[in-house]
Amino acid sequence: MRQNKKNFLKKVKGVFEPLLFSREYLKNKKWIIYLIIAFAILSTATRLLVPIIIGDIINSLESRNFNAIYLEIEYIMLLAVLSAIASFVVNFGAQYTSQIYAYNLRKRVVNSMVKKKTKFFHDKTSGDLLSRTTMDIDASRNFIMNSLSQLIPTMLIIIFAVGYLLYINVVYSLFFLATVPILIYVGVKFQKKQRPHWMKIRDTYGVMTESIQEDITGQRTVRSYLQEEPQIDRFTGITDTYYGEYMNVAHLRGIYNNLMPFIISAAATAVIFYGGYSSIVSKTDVGGLVAAVNIFTMVTFPVSFLGRLIAFSENARAGIGRIKGVLDRDLDEDVLTSGDFPKSNGISIRGVKYKRGAREILKNVDLEIPPESFVCLTGETGSGKSSLVNLIPRLEDPSDGQIFIGGVNVRDIPLSSLRNHIAIVPQEISLLSGSISENIIFGRNGITEEMTRRAAKIARIDDFIESLPEGYSTIIGERGITLSGGQRQRVALARAIASNPRILILDDATSSVDPETELAIFSRIVKSIEGITVVLVSLRYSAMKYASTAYELENGEISELQNVEEISYAMEKDGFKNETDL
Amino acid sequence: MKQTYDEIEESYIKTLRGRTALKRLLKDMAKNRKQTAILVASVMITAIAATFSPLAIGDAVNGVATGSFKIIIEFSLVFISLALIQFGSNRFRVLSSTILAQGTVKNLRDRSFKSIQHVPISFFSKVKAGFLISRMTNDGETLGEFLTFQIPSVVSGMTTVIMSIAIMLYLDFNLTLYALIVLPFLSIFTLSLQGKVRRNYLRTRKTIAAITGNLAENISSIRSIKAFNVESYTEGKFDGLNTDNLNANIKASRLSSVYGAIVRIIEYTGIAIVVFAGAIQLKAGLISIGILVSFIFYVQEFFDPVIQLSQLYNSYQSSIVGVGRIYGIIDSKKEAALDGEINVSSLNDSIVLKDVNFAYDDSDALKNINLAIKKGENIGIVGHTGAGKTTLSNLIMKFYTPQSGEILVDGKNLSEINTESYRNLISPVLQEPFLFRGTIYENVKIAAPDKSEEEIEKLAGDFNLDRIFSKLPQGLETNVGELGRSLSEGQKQAIAILRALCRDPQIIIMDEPTSNIDPYSEKFIFQSLEKFAREKTLILITHRFSMISLVDKIIVLQNGEIVESGTFPELREKKGIFSQMYDILYGNRGESLS
Repeated sequence: MRQNKKNFLKKVKGVFEPLLFSREYLKNKKWIIYLIIAFAILSTATRLLVPIIIGDIINSLESRNFNAIYLEIEYIMLLAVLSAIASFVVNFGAQYTSQIYAYNLRKRVVNSMVKKKTKFFHDKTSGDLLSRTTMDIDASRNFIMNSLSQLIPTMLIIIFAVGYLLYINVVYSLFFLATVPILIYVGVKFQKKQRPHWMKIRDTYGVMTESIQEDITGQRTVRSYLQEEPQIDRFTGITDTYYGEYMNVAHLRGIYNNLMPFIISAAATAVIFYGGYSSIVSKTDVGGLVAAVNIFTMVTFPVSFLGRLIAFSENARAGIGRIKGVLDRDLDEDVLTSGDFPKSNGISIRGVKYKRGAREILKNVDLEIPPESFVCLTGETGSGKSSLVNLIPRLEDPSDGQIFIGGVNVRDIPLSSLRNHIAIVPQEISLLSGSISENIIFGRNGITEEMTRRAAKIARIDDFIESLPEGYSTIIGERGITLSGGQRQRVALARAIASNPRILILDDATSSVDPETELAIFSRIVKSIEGITVVLVSLRYSAMKYASTAYELENGEISELQNVEEISYAMEKDGFKNETDL
Repeated sequence: MKQTYDEIEESYIKTLRGRTALKRLLKDMAKNRKQTAILVASVMITAIAATFSPLAIGDAVNGVATGSFKIIIEFSLVFISLALIQFGSNRFRVLSSTILAQGTVKNLRDRSFKSIQHVPISFFSKVKAGFLISRMTNDGETLGEFLTFQIPSVVSGMTTVIMSIAIMLYLDFNLTLYALIVLPFLSIFTLSLQGKVRRNYLRTRKTIAAITGNLAENISSIRSIKAFNVESYTEGKFDGLNTDNLNANIKASRLSSVYGAIVRIIEYTGIAIVVFAGAIQLKAGLISIGILVSFIFYVQEFFDPVIQLSQLYNSYQSSIVGVGRIYGIIDSKKEAALDGEINVSSLNDSIVLKDVNFAYDDSDALKNINLAIKKGENIGIVGHTGAGKTTLSNLIMKFYTPQSGEILVDGKNLSEINTESYRNLISPVLQEPFLFRGTIYENVKIAAPDKSEEEIEKLAGDFNLDRIFSKLPQGLETNVGELGRSLSEGQKQAIAILRALCRDPQIIIMDEPTSNIDPYSEKFIFQSLEKFAREKTLILITHRFSMISLVDKIIVLQNGEIVESGTFPELREKKGIFSQMYDILYGNRGESLS
């Protein structure tokens, strides 16, 4: 029983959960909220004063007291000014506060997101994360705005009504008070029933974002394979679900939300019954009864508004639930603390195992990469080459085993130093929309224009960049000039080289660059960056030959190739055999 | 002058002006006649029931005065019945308004999604994905919320306004004119702000789109952000946009709050004018006190919804700007507008490129290309990075149209050929393989919907791709993740190849299809392709020559021009660019071959 009561209270409190949640993002803004409350009271008071003045005016008209009328008109204009000021403060204050909330929360979410380990992103899609950082935040912002601007006037009107009822007749006010638990019960029921639907709405919104993003990214494939119609069907399916859930909420609103003013009307009927009967019996004045019934009708709108607020609140809560998934600090990593990077840039990988989900990718890898060397890592498709190199700058962590750089366990090197000194060029290149030089500098401090140009030169993209009319200021990325695959890779390479890293990892990063250019780039890297260690993942024979040592990953284990021509999957010879057929 | 992003976006996606957008929106909504009728009817029933309620109370109270308990019961029952009617009509009101609102939003989203399937490919190099997403999701949502919760208020507000004006006119014509005196001021005031309000809200929509765009980019490049330890920089950049959005919103809400406040003053002035004019008329004996009293009440009845509607002005403007942006996507020029009507069902003779020139904006990509690809011919396109290889294949796939010159398919100009029927003949393996979320099967099935899973598995074996998939514990049932991120690049390419081959096309265009696949696996794929491609027309773009023996003829591109062409031995003989590239890749061994 007590448990039930506790749960019940918890549910009632739940409606205001978004407000509690918002406190953290509205620090130092308390005074605005107090201001809003004060002016909301003023605004309600002016609203309640209007009928009183109108009443006075009517009295004056009846008594033909025209001087009083002119005075009362002045009162009305005074009220107009007061009410205008109050409405401005309340409306603007509520909007301002809610926007500050959204701003702070969004900032926090992004802060939290970029600090997550890459593991966090394994099972998240960008569309879903995108909706969490935009519309889910907006759902709670909307509730906060509505609460701030209207909750207080609404509550004040109800309180005023109850007070006035008490003043008229204590029994009548009991009728009203009797409706309160029923209203709360209906409200809680309403809240509970719509909960799953709002959660579904917010999730579906994420799926919708996801599917638009996927569709845009894959437009060429969509069109080549005439997938336009299936894609449209898929999307329509999502919007159908979304629409369906809104309808489910509408059905609930249709019943529960409308039930609330109906309960008030029922109570009003009871008052008429009781009041009428007792008035007849005691032959008292009916004025009190009329006023009481009027009060009841006056509160129907505020009560039904409170019901609507419950709907907004559930939408907000569903959004907040999803935001919390990102705010959660579980998978955070410290990317700020910096420290020393080991003097030696040799890498030892000892007994490393790596699993991704249920897939065991690396079984037992031992590898010594001497300092200042140029080594190549090769292996069949899907043998775990990328997984292995991702472990070095700790983009992923091994499930077992250790990695040392210059004798220091990578776990003991602050991430910031680790990643500042190890540059990795992944297979999947991401260029940001911005100029070429912005893409090379990539927001890092201390990379000068000269370093940028030097990096472009090493990556052999300088001639191309200089041939562009706007040179390094040329906009690339999503809506910039169209770069070929190889050019994109070389811009990414220049980005990696620009900071003079101690260790450079090239994860098949030159696959779209022609072999001539590729070899030229390698030799420039080695010549220009003194003492650099290069770990090259490559499938190319020419690249393997360039390296001082080549290793092969096979079945999750690694072996050194004594002679590049001996690689277990070596096909070059066979390949040449075919060419001789020409 | 360099164009700003806004201007570029605007030149690709128009944003409809407020009034045009509103008209179109209303038209779209009114298409659902039944629900519109239900909504209007239920709002009216509610309004009528609400009007009669006080009367019922009045009559019940009269019962008290006359001491008749029967009358009290009767009219109380009338009162509660009226409440019940309102309960019912409100229920219909909520349902019909949700159907109209969410139905409209769904319809707009579906139409814009459909639209982006048919815009020219170049559209996507001009408009950021995040901005498009924002229009379709954020702007749609704002509209949805506005319509779902506010349509009933708008409809009932307007009904009340009209009804109270009618009653006021009935009561006293002159006083009505006095009451309406403020309306022109209200309208002029509203109209004078409209442009500014619109610009403000456009700014809020654009800044939220910028936020979405930036986030989309950050999320997709999160690995690079982490690898280069530029988290703080990323946050800083985002913060700039976040601040812009905050400022835009504050500016917009400041103006709308000022507007709301001034409307209040206008309202009270209106009441004051009526009281003042009424008093003068009363003094002159032109009206009775009774009429004036009821008039004053109706003036308030009239101004209430006016105020309410003006408060909605805020969210109305914000939504209508969003609607204009969604219509912009719907109205985007379609590729189909440039589409031809000739349907092709097979390639019978050749694809010929005649004096083709192509430039992306102002940077030349291809210059004066003349090339004939005969049916059944296997052609290799080689060249250094940036030479224009991929651009050439894009033109052949009709993703882009050449600025000058023509592409002839069996003698017919490609621009006169129906794109869909033409693309049906081609299977491409794009340089960056794109995978949909789902399993490998599902990704292959889009190209070959009739093939069963067993058949696909068999084909994977036939093309020697099975050894690549065998590394995955769940084989072809493996879920590839977003953009195939759960797989290695080589595995992704293998799926793209399987997909292309399963379609069994007449023309295959492969753009570096095996760049991330190990040579051993590649060799097997190559062997199976050798047989397969013999019956097909193959265009192979590569700078890895391991698969070069697949082709009969090699075209060498440099800086957008064809510089060499011929068979493998011919080009080796020539000792030109091709030979040079080949030697670098294979060193001396290649040399010894010639």
